[in-house]
Amino acid sequence: MLFQSYTDKKDGAIRGYDIKSPKVKVLAAVILLMCFLIVLICVFPAIWVMLAGFKDIKEFTRNATIWPTAFDFEKFRVTWKAFKFGKYYFNSAIAVGGSTICAVIFNGLLAYGFAVLKPKGYKVAWALVMWSLLIPATTSIVAVIRNISLIGLKGSFIPIWLAFGANAFYVVLFKEFFEGLPSELLEAARLDGCGVLQVFIRIMLPLSKPIIMVVAIFAVTAAWSDFLFPYLVLNGSGKETVMVKLFAFKDTPTDAVSVLRAVVFSIIPPTVLFAIFQKQITDSAAAGAVKG
Amino acid sequence: MKKKAVKRILGIVCCMTLTMSMLAGCGSTSETAATEATQETTTADETKTEASGEAEVQEPAEAEPVEVTLGIWPEDTLADDIAMHEGFVETMKTKNPNATYTPAYYKYATDTFMPMVESGNCPTVFESWFTEPQKLIASKAVANITSELDGKGWLNSMNPSIKELLSDKDGNIYGIPRDGYALGLMLNVELFEEAGLVDADGYPLYPKTMEELAQTAKTIKDKTGAAGFVLLAKDGAGGWHFSNIAWNFGATLCIDNGDGTFTSNLNSPEAIEAMEFVKSLKWDYDVLTADPTNEDWGTGFTQLGTGNAAMYIAANDAVNQPTQVNGLPVDKLAMCAIPEGPGGQYSLFGGTPYMFSKDATPEQINAALDYIEVMGKGPSVSEDAIAGMQADAENKSAAGVPVIPRFPCWTDQAILDAEAKIIEDYGNVDTKMFQPYFDATSSEGLRSEEPGLTQDMYSELTKVLQSVITDKNADVTALMNTANDNYQKLLDDANSAN
Amino acid sequence: MRKRKSFKKRDLLGWLVMLPTLLLFAFYVWEPLLENVRLSMFSAVRYELQEFVAFDNYIKVINNPDFIAAFKNTFSYTLWSLVIGFLVPIALGILISETVRFKGLFRVGIYFPNIVPGLATVWIWSFFFNPGKTGVLNIILSKFGIDPQLWLTNPHWTIPLIIITLTWKSAGATALIYMANISSISPDLYEAATIDGAGIRQRIRHITLPSVFSLAKTLLLLQIISVFQILYEPMVMTNGGPNNASISLMMLMYRYAFRDFDFPSGAALSVMICIVLIILSGIYTVATRKKED
Repeated sequence: MLFQSYTDKKDGAIRGYDIKSPKVKVLAAVILLMCFLIVLICVFPAIWVMLAGFKDIKEFTRNATIWPTAFDFEKFRVTWKAFKFGKYYFNSAIAVGGSTICAVIFNGLLAYGFAVLKPKGYKVAWALVMWSLLIPATTSIVAVIRNISLIGLKGSFIPIWLAFGANAFYVVLFKEFFEGLPSELLEAARLDGCGVLQVFIRIMLPLSKPIIMVVAIFAVTAAWSDFLFPYLVLNGSGKETVMVKLFAFKDTPTDAVSVLRAVVFSIIPPTVLFAIFQKQITDSAAAGAVKG
Repeated sequence: MKKKAVKRILGIVCCMTLTMSMLAGCGSTSETAATEATQETTTADETKTEASGEAEVQEPAEAEPVEVTLGIWPEDTLADDIAMHEGFVETMKTKNPNATYTPAYYKYATDTFMPMVESGNCPTVFESWFTEPQKLIASKAVANITSELDGKGWLNSMNPSIKELLSDKDGNIYGIPRDGYALGLMLNVELFEEAGLVDADGYPLYPKTMEELAQTAKTIKDKTGAAGFVLLAKDGAGGWHFSNIAWNFGATLCIDNGDGTFTSNLNSPEAIEAMEFVKSLKWDYDVLTADPTNEDWGTGFTQLGTGNAAMYIAANDAVNQPTQVNGLPVDKLAMCAIPEGPGGQYSLFGGTPYMFSKDATPEQINAALDYIEVMGKGPSVSEDAIAGMQADAENKSAAGVPVIPRFPCWTDQAILDAEAKIIEDYGNVDTKMFQPYFDATSSEGLRSEEPGLTQDMYSELTKVLQSVITDKNADVTALMNTANDNYQKLLDDANSAN
Repeated sequence: MRKRKSFKKRDLLGWLVMLPTLLLFAFYVWEPLLENVRLSMFSAVRYELQEFVAFDNYIKVINNPDFIAAFKNTFSYTLWSLVIGFLVPIALGILISETVRFKGLFRVGIYFPNIVPGLATVWIWSFFFNPGKTGVLNIILSKFGIDPQLWLTNPHWTIPLIIITLTWKSAGATALIYMANISSISPDLYEAATIDGAGIRQRIRHITLPSVFSLAKTLLLLQIISVFQILYEPMVMTNGGPNNASISLMMLMYRYAFRDFDFPSGAALSVMICIVLIILSGIYTVATRKKED
């Protein structure tokens, strides 16, 4: 029964016609088992954090067990209250939303220039962008923060959003994808008298849904996880994100398990988001990346 | 229509190119100009404020409003502490109506501090760590508050050895102590009881010598299964603790040549003996926690507080760590001195400082000092200051933190008496549990950190600790020689730069 | 040739479209980099330049007793990540491509670690590698009757284990990309191979793998670049220990800049890292180009 589904298998080295052989059946079963094991390894650490969150610090450091002795949701409620997570979820949502939009628009436009418009001398700019990949970002953080203060944007979401507009990796992803689009289509649009921006909005964007999705996913996860830069820009402004709070939380008088409970709350939103959009995400991550 | 649009776009382009060329091309010049400009304005400010200070003498009624940002505000999750500080702000409203106090919680961290200073967002007053003052003074990131302290009459109340830690070479002072601390040995009394190591009155039989430390630790390990002693070997804190152990073996780790240069002395026979002792704790006595290379300052308290280990080198200003944070009952914590070794008994001491933004005006610094006075952290026995101390003690008591005397960072008799009174009224622990510790820290054995690139010295020592703990056959002498060479090399670099 | 004659309106429009993003790059990346290069040749108080010292900061960094260890380890990280971090995603991609049922579940499952924030990942794995009997991995081992292991404390394991942590986090996303690539292989190729008598193993070796390798080339370079700049994982998990077994160049940089506030030396070191990366990328490009020929 299990193996019936293999008869219309569309990809991979095992083909539908192989499955009749018992040797292949064993192989397929082994692969299936391995995949289950892999998924277990992937999700186990997150499950462990949740289980550990039900322990108190004494049980956590002394009992050599994974399962907690009791499931007391009160502990999570206390951490939730102490943290005022609601407010920081909201801030994070704003930071992530703006960052994602900036990541798509700015990097997309630049890649459009590199891949399609190719104005005279664009290769210099392209080389500079590629070089940005090689620069360790941590060192320049002081200079960046100083620049931000200089133009008076400290304590605002704007520098957080715009930072995602200058990402060489996203530019590369966009560029590779745009170059794979049929050029006749763009030519035709141009002959119809479409302006440069109109071509981008009317032709490029609709065709680029898969890659936009990919960049959006990357940007959402990256923006959600980022902590040092947002901390330096937002701390004390009342606009702190969840990760900024988590980063600061570890230095306050709290025990290790409370920190783990806070970690649970920081994992939940992206997990929920991911669960809702999982089909779109995996499909487009696949489609968008075909070009590599 | 179209032409207009093109023109507008061209206009925008011109603006953008201009900004871009400013950013990319002339960025450097324009920026230095900008910083120079701000510097000028700050110096202008200073002269102005000095002038206004003089003016104030003539017309005391005309005071300008002052805004103070409080980096010492408690963290969001500490509701009781916040309520207490809100009370302080209320007090200040009547006491100093010109000043507005704004919460700006900042937990000092080395990776966030400089970016904050460079962007001009340092709070007026913040709390730093004991390791930092000299570094912050050298990088001109904090304000000289000598004249303000003088104005308040606090200058001579400060414990002279702590004052030295907060001063530069010319005797200017850059901070005031929140707390002094001296390293001692924290004991988990529950484990001592379980191992039968208590006297008839229930007080722990604490180790008085290094030999006894090893024996006591062994007894605890055998009887209870918990580790006897927490040794730190993950980061610089390991070298920090070790330096105190080494002193007790008679070592001096860094020699001050008196001319601003230093000589490394990590491979003296005494220092090697101390390291051999630490090694024996792991391989002969086997009394340490599962992995010292994973233990840092915080996890050490977790081990002690949760009953995984019985003894830990720590200071009186951190009694909230095992108790409030890690759940040890308040009456099950005791402290004694770091055991005596062949070289004597020493306690490393220092202070947790309040420091002030380099951009703070004298008015702001004064207003901040007033606030600290109301918190009960200054050398003042005014009604407000006493109220502040009481609020603090009450708060600690409610949170299950031992209320014990702080290290005498202010030496006025009046303030010492006031503090003693607070302990008497609000004390929630049996002071005998802490007596051996306070006996030692009021003795001759107090010693401040080694001079000269201390953090680098700690790093080198920590590397040796990591080696002797992970390798049973480690050659201690060779490792200490290497550490000594490395440390000397760094000192030479610094010496030649001076 | 005629096109080159004039800077046309089209070119202007092209630059116009790219300008906003280029401004952002200038603001966030290029200008700070130039600042850094300049800073690395000066002495400074905080971030303010004092006097020109040419290459003194560079010499100071190279003379640091930990520099050699950090340099070696950084290459060691990179090599291990080539072994573990490169092969695992390919293996994952191939395995999952060979399933039919539960494929959606598998894809979601392997991508999951990617959405766990990096800070949380490092903390969680620190508890997993705890060497006591309460360490998570040791608890699991004890169920199989195996004694507690030292994990990160064993200097020979430290770097590989840190790379495993990295791989746990990132392999899923890369595997998805490989899977997409595999599913785009034309079925005709497999059928032709079957007719030629190729077994499943041979088909994977001669058809699946070669088609993946061209893509792997690009991803590998990106991986080298990012692993070379490894910082937070060793800093939180081992602090570079035991006895420098896991210190990286970026950690050394971090120590200069953010522990000692010696920004010029930190800047000098990051410029050096940048130069090494440029050389590595150059070698890599040349090497892979040759293979293609």
